[in-house]
Amino acid sequence: MIGKRFRRGAGAALGLALLAAGPAYALESAPFTSPQTSVTLVSEAAAIAPGEPFRLGLRQQISPGWHTYWSNPGDAGEPPSLTFDLPAGASAGELQFPAPERIEYGPLVNFGYENEVVFPVTVTPPADLQPGQSFTVRTDAFWLVCKDICIPEETSFTLALPVEPTARSDAATAPLFAAAEASLPRPSLWQAEAGFEGDRGVLRLSGDLLSPDAVASAFFFPAEWGVIENAAPQELRVGQGELSLGLVRAKGELPERLSGVIAVTDAAGSRSAYALDAPLGPVPPAASSTGGAGLPLWQAALFAALGGLLLNLMPCVFPILAMKAVGIAALAGRADRTIRLHALSYVTGVLLSFLALAGLLLLLKGAGMAAGWGFQFTSPLFVAAMAWLMLAVGLNLSGVYALGGPVSAGSGLAAKGGHAGSFFTGVLAVLVATPCTAPFMAAATGAAFAMPPAATLAVFAALGLGMGAPYALLAFLPRLARLLPRPGLWMERLKQALAFPMYGAAGWLLWVLTVQTGADGLLVALAGALLVAFAAWVLGIAQSAGRRGAWAGRGAAALAMLAALAVLPQLQAAETPQATMADAAAAEPWSEARVAELRAQGRPVFVNLTAAWCITCKVNERVALDTTATQEAFAAAGVATLVGDWTNGDPAIGALLQRHGREGVPLYLLYPAGSGDPVVLPQILTESIVLQALEPVARTAGQMPAPSQS
Amino acid sequence: MILPITRRAALFAATALPLLPRLAMAGPAVGQPAPDFLLPDQDGAMHRLQDYRGKLLVLEWTNHECPYVRKHYGSGNMQSLQALAADKGVVWLSIASSPEGEQGHVTGAEAKELTVSRGARPEAVLLDPMSRAARAYQATTTPEMFVIGRDGTLLYMGGIDSIRSTRPADIERAEPYLRNALLAAVEGRPVEPSVTRPYGCAVKYAPAA
Repeated sequence: MIGKRFRRGAGAALGLALLAAGPAYALESAPFTSPQTSVTLVSEAAAIAPGEPFRLGLRQQISPGWHTYWSNPGDAGEPPSLTFDLPAGASAGELQFPAPERIEYGPLVNFGYENEVVFPVTVTPPADLQPGQSFTVRTDAFWLVCKDICIPEETSFTLALPVEPTARSDAATAPLFAAAEASLPRPSLWQAEAGFEGDRGVLRLSGDLLSPDAVASAFFFPAEWGVIENAAPQELRVGQGELSLGLVRAKGELPERLSGVIAVTDAAGSRSAYALDAPLGPVPPAASSTGGAGLPLWQAALFAALGGLLLNLMPCVFPILAMKAVGIAALAGRADRTIRLHALSYVTGVLLSFLALAGLLLLLKGAGMAAGWGFQFTSPLFVAAMAWLMLAVGLNLSGVYALGGPVSAGSGLAAKGGHAGSFFTGVLAVLVATPCTAPFMAAATGAAFAMPPAATLAVFAALGLGMGAPYALLAFLPRLARLLPRPGLWMERLKQALAFPMYGAAGWLLWVLTVQTGADGLLVALAGALLVAFAAWVLGIAQSAGRRGAWAGRGAAALAMLAALAVLPQLQAAETPQATMADAAAAEPWSEARVAELRAQGRPVFVNLTAAWCITCKVNERVALDTTATQEAFAAAGVATLVGDWTNGDPAIGALLQRHGREGVPLYLLYPAGSGDPVVLPQILTESIVLQALEPVARTAGQMPAPSQS
Repeated sequence: MILPITRRAALFAATALPLLPRLAMAGPAVGQPAPDFLLPDQDGAMHRLQDYRGKLLVLEWTNHECPYVRKHYGSGNMQSLQALAADKGVVWLSIASSPEGEQGHVTGAEAKELTVSRGARPEAVLLDPMSRAARAYQATTTPEMFVIGRDGTLLYMGGIDSIRSTRPADIERAEPYLRNALLAAVEGRPVEPSVTRPYGCAVKYAPAA
């Protein structure tokens, strides 16, 4: 509904306006007061123009513990109603209902409002009014207010407004109406479908902006009685680009369409509501958030095993396997037992690595950190380190240095040929598979959330078995290895050739990194790669040199590696998430200094504090900020837009939020040119809210700050 | 791979959701046997559904202090419906489900006094301070009406009439759902509509035992 800060401010401003207003005309009617409520009829217009529609609002200030009702009051109650008595030729539209709250009462659930609510209604005066006349609105108002008991309240409001050639709004009530407008459900941006079978059903939304990171909770308020059980929990599932709510049928007849309002609370804790009208058909599939939650374990494990098998073909894993292939080729013609042991060692390595991953996942889950899990795999640090590892393995295959170097226990041991080597090849394969498999991992994480720990471990084990399956086959049928050609010089050539898939993988990872961090990150990663290559080369020399040079060479290699590791943290600094980069393309990044600078140049400044995971922010940008009308108005007024991206929790932005009493984004500040306090816009924007807020600010364009303030 | 699977998983989950508590439990349904009840009346005599086999039965959830109930008693509408029922040999039971300390709670003596002072004509006022019958019937509002057939089948559930308001003046303009259902049941015609939106104050439920 209406933000607390906002409400208080509006109330104070309104009080002043009432004091200042003359006795005949007022922006707000005399209040109806009772112990439960204080209710007025309030006008957005200080003066109206003939024939020009304007907005009135039924404003309810509700005592603590009491509530009033939405258009569908839920299990009991009644919505407010106005019956207008207007001068001839005038007409009034329907009362508009802000998105309601869910109000529990015993086993019942009502839909309504607490604290304060404004119901806007549009009134169109007759066109033949003359400036200088007054226009008097009279309306009978009824509402029900309930706590544990219900009290119907009824009164009549009268409001007289002056008629002038052009309509005039008033700063005193503008924020009240802006807040009211922001609390109305917006048109849905998503495709909606719904269906019921028996007493269960699903409401499904699909379209962009929906993602597990963006939606924290959601509730569907049905427009009609009897379609769904109001008190039933609505099981929320959110996938990439989809959201579903589980619904329970109620006793009434099923209409042809399911209409109502969905209230979505995003990760930032801000709530926005959307009007839905979904055709009713077959039960749509629920969104895929919680992965294998409803899947029997054996099925989840089977699919995980298939997934593991497919991992063998992923670009990250393939080179490692190529390396392993060399080892297997070397085994051709060896005793069955040897081949079997090697294959089993490899599979064990893969399996234990996956179990270790699962264990880590469970630990994170236990620590309540699992939400961040998906990001670990897309961390630029991890990707850069993997690129360097690929490079190091490639250099090894190219023969720049020999085995057993400090590059990695895995690759070193892997190429050694022992059983430990096979085991660590398995470990390495899993390790390098991770950056390629983030999407799979994200889904696996989801599944893990919904499953008991033992089941999670089983699923991960199945994933490992799937990945190791080709080698397990080798273990059971060692004769297969005899089909491979005999070892010889071709193996050395093959090994050298296999260096190239490694370099290719390194190159691909660097590309991933540029997407994540931009050019600066690439520079850091390439500098590190240079150091890794240098280390490999020095190490190679040390290995071929006599005893004397060996230690110096190894020392130099170690130093180069340490230097490479030392540049890694630079990546963190260069980190800029992709999503916001694209969004903010047109806007400059926010800084306190830049705001001051632009204002000093006589430009109003619009500050948009947003985050990649903030669904309200994204919707606001789409419906209110990035629209042609808003952009043109900004351009006309010379407004500079600065975007503050809070995705990574920038402390400077955090401080700015805190100064405005906010715990999170979105926050919109419109600074007049020169000096003066910014206008704080509501958290939910519409085009008209932005344009109205812009009006007074636009007039300040070209203003320079007073010398004393600069 | 895992992604395509989860869609199936979700579909599966959607159809196999665990049974939910609260009102989602099997409640009254028109055409099905009406839920049973066992409640004392204003004089302490026990009443249960099966006592009324062979008779048409009206259940009226009530809370005498609720403005929506007062609309129908204050205007005499409820009394005339009760008289119509008595006239047609239909048993009318008023049920007060508010627990002690909540609005609408009545003792036997208070129930008798209300019946006299309001000129009401229920066969009995059933006292349900534990809200057991309210839970069985998933009653949400006062007033809320049920009509049960001679064989114990639920024939009608919902509002007393079609206009959700506290204004007595609306009674005449409203479609009299209960009256229509009662007459249809008496005459052996199908009840149409058989499920309507009840309106009024929330039933004051006793905390679940």
